[in-house]
Amino acid sequence: MLNCKQASQLASRLMDEELPFWEKFSLKMHLFLCRSCSNFSRQLDFLRKVSRHDENMPDFQLTDEAKQRIANALIDKQRSN
Amino acid sequence: MDDDLNVQTWLDKYGDYLYSYAFLKVKDRHIAEDMVQETLFAAIAAKNTFSGQSTIRTWLTGILKHKIIDHFRRQSRVTAIGDLVDQDDEDNLDYFFRNSGSWIEKPESFPSPESALQQQQFQTIFQRCLSGLKTRQAEIFLAREVHEMNNEEICKHFSITTTNAWVLLHRARLALIRCLKIHWIDR
Repeated sequence: MLNCKQASQLASRLMDEELPFWEKFSLKMHLFLCRSCSNFSRQLDFLRKVSRHDENMPDFQLTDEAKQRIANALIDKQRSN
Repeated sequence: MDDDLNVQTWLDKYGDYLYSYAFLKVKDRHIAEDMVQETLFAAIAAKNTFSGQSTIRTWLTGILKHKIIDHFRRQSRVTAIGDLVDQDDEDNLDYFFRNSGSWIEKPESFPSPESALQQQQFQTIFQRCLSGLKTRQAEIFLAREVHEMNNEEICKHFSITTTNAWVLLHRARLALIRCLKIHWIDR
């Protein structure tokens, strides 16, 4: 039987890749029985959804203005070369 | 022109990635934007030297890293250069789990992502939590969750093993959830 630390590691891995059958099976068993870890697993989904929501990350994405400015600068630069 | 070697496509494909990478280090929007531009300028000049040994993303990030180091040198912010060294610190999961492997603080349920996204405050808090991660964790989390790189790409790009990637992502996620719990849920 997995403990919560192991289960949380597997739950995190499952966000990134398929797990081998037995690992997935024991994770599912654990999540079925453990409220804390099933909350954690839903929190992982939460993180993914809010991270992949477009307008959510102004600090980590170029603004449209900046993109346009850089695109123009690149065109000028390539012309002058 | 071959798409792979079209600089304009690089801006569309990798611009956000390069920007977030620079922003994490310099913490200034305008400087980070300038760095993306300088990186692409340098890439035009050095286009013929791209060997195809690495991916375009990795090659561009390499150029960007030099720009960032130059920037800190110019500012003679010696301490900041320490930030650039990729430290895989020895901190472990003890902060979150007891020796027995049980949670120290049991995860509770969060509101729905949809309702969170409707709160303006949430976005500010979330970005602050992200910026508060250790640089390496933040880079990998952003690569995975925001820029949607898969594990294989992440391992290649950051030259780390699969296990490293799992560990870093797991720690980043635990830390972000903890931060949101403190600054958003319990506020």
